[in-house]
Amino acid sequence: MGDLFVLAISCIFINNILLAQFLGNCPFLGTSKKMETAVGMAMAVIFVLVMAGMITWIVDLYLLKALNVEFLRTVSFILVIASLVQFVEMFLKKSIPGLYAGLGIFLPLITTNCAVMGVCLINIKEEYTFIQALVSSFAYAVGFGLALILFAGVRERVILARVPKALQDTSIGLITAGMIALVFTVFRGMV
Amino acid sequence: MREMLSMIVVLTVLTAVSGGLLAAVKVKTEPRIEEQVLKFQKAPAIKAIFADATNDPIKERFNVKAEDTELQVFPSTLADGIKAVAFEAKGTGFGGPIGLMVGVNLDTDEIIAVRVTTHAETPGIGSRAKEDLSFVGQFAGMSMASNFGTKGQGGDIDAMSGATVTSVGVSQAAVAAQNLYKKLKPEIVKQMN
Amino acid sequence: MAQSLVKEFTKGLWAEIPLFRLVLGLCPALAVTKTCENGIGMGMATTFVLLFSNILVSMLRNIIPSKVRIACYIVIIATFVTIVEFVMQAYTYELFLKLGIFIPLIVVNCVVLGRAEAFAGKNTVMLSAADGLGMGIGFTLALSSLGAVRELIGAGTLTVWGGTPLFTIGHGYIPFQFMVEAPGAFVGLGMMLCLMNLIGKK
Repeated sequence: MGDLFVLAISCIFINNILLAQFLGNCPFLGTSKKMETAVGMAMAVIFVLVMAGMITWIVDLYLLKALNVEFLRTVSFILVIASLVQFVEMFLKKSIPGLYAGLGIFLPLITTNCAVMGVCLINIKEEYTFIQALVSSFAYAVGFGLALILFAGVRERVILARVPKALQDTSIGLITAGMIALVFTVFRGMV
Repeated sequence: MREMLSMIVVLTVLTAVSGGLLAAVKVKTEPRIEEQVLKFQKAPAIKAIFADATNDPIKERFNVKAEDTELQVFPSTLADGIKAVAFEAKGTGFGGPIGLMVGVNLDTDEIIAVRVTTHAETPGIGSRAKEDLSFVGQFAGMSMASNFGTKGQGGDIDAMSGATVTSVGVSQAAVAAQNLYKKLKPEIVKQMN
Repeated sequence: MAQSLVKEFTKGLWAEIPLFRLVLGLCPALAVTKTCENGIGMGMATTFVLLFSNILVSMLRNIIPSKVRIACYIVIIATFVTIVEFVMQAYTYELFLKLGIFIPLIVVNCVVLGRAEAFAGKNTVMLSAADGLGMGIGFTLALSSLGAVRELIGAGTLTVWGGTPLFTIGHGYIPFQFMVEAPGAFVGLGMMLCLMNLIGKK
């Protein structure tokens, strides 16, 4: 139990997926201009990443490793993620329209969010057990959400500041992200 | 209906072609990849560990197995007639897995030397574990029964300053090597004779 | 014909250079550019995938039903990515180790899928090949220049190929290690975008 807690902390803070591992940076910059979209994206990622983490782990063990076709990992994982996203979208639309209204527009974007694919691959590479993979998927997703929401909060302020013309928009966004990443390096010695 | 059918056919054919193509590429590149792994990761480390080997440890490599653990070992006879083996163990550093090649004297269970094989640590910081030998040099002469934890964890290893995570990763790998050795030594000795 | 080929090729090098103009493909750009060599390697791997997936997508554009086109593109891209993985393991093994997980992740690089969807799915094979090659080389240029800047400032060296530095700043130079670490990636790219904006204004 203690080990899982340490794993979760290190996935959320120390190896933060956005700021230390650099996965999922396109939506990080794309959806962080407004707090509202940032929260929506964060929720959608948590939802999909946990499911994708579980399913790809099972696929890897019982399909790829069992049949000795590990070289199809990239192809099969991306197909699993793409169809999962599609399926979640259809399911939410029919069954939980309220949630769909909130997450709907973010779901298609998640297929090309490398945070999802990246965490699935990390789970396999680090040889996690099913429970560890589940915890790491959830924790990485929470770390993603945390960084994204923090960043959106800062960015909403930056819009009000007087930024030199050449630095505007993405450029200042990246430098701000760098500062947040600097803050996150403080967590490094924790575990 | 026709549309549905064509969708399924196109996707299936595409996936099948892709699978077949990849299998072919894999078969073509496999021996070459194995050679590369040996050449770039393991061979330099083994040569450094067994500097006075009288045989070719890489050529004479074999696999040992006990329960569900399999390990590739590199046997060597040193200049003074000492029998030794080298094998690789893994730990987790700052940028990902760290591979550590460990050379052990089979008679005394003492470490001859260790070298880092692979790492993805930050250049100039964690990467010192591979380039600067004063850190990995600590392991030489230690018994396989020592505590390989870093001093911060109550063990005997001095961490590199500024690269604690990497140091812990290397020490993890050493502990993994310890466990492998404990488990597989009888099997190794059996196959060496 | 030849003119439009040149046009599609050169647009990726400057006017629509990925990463700097269209802010796409950020993850590999931030993660692997600790050294210039890594940037070049990653760029070349992406160029290979871009070129061949563009060609194949364009060849099959009349056969692929539009409803499953994204899935088909993904399969095509993933196939080439895996081929690159094998080839890099077999021939440039050290580089493969450094790039690690980011090689399979080319599959979700928005630049690649973006070109398939926006260009190759609608244009002829020749044009798509020119587009893929141009975008790939543009991406490589962007990654290697970011890598060069970070490495020079952060480690005081410049490595282009083969793992040994081509050039080292003299011993008096104390590396600004911030630049090779995670935060430096963001700041470095931010500054380069700023520079591009300044040049673009004229």
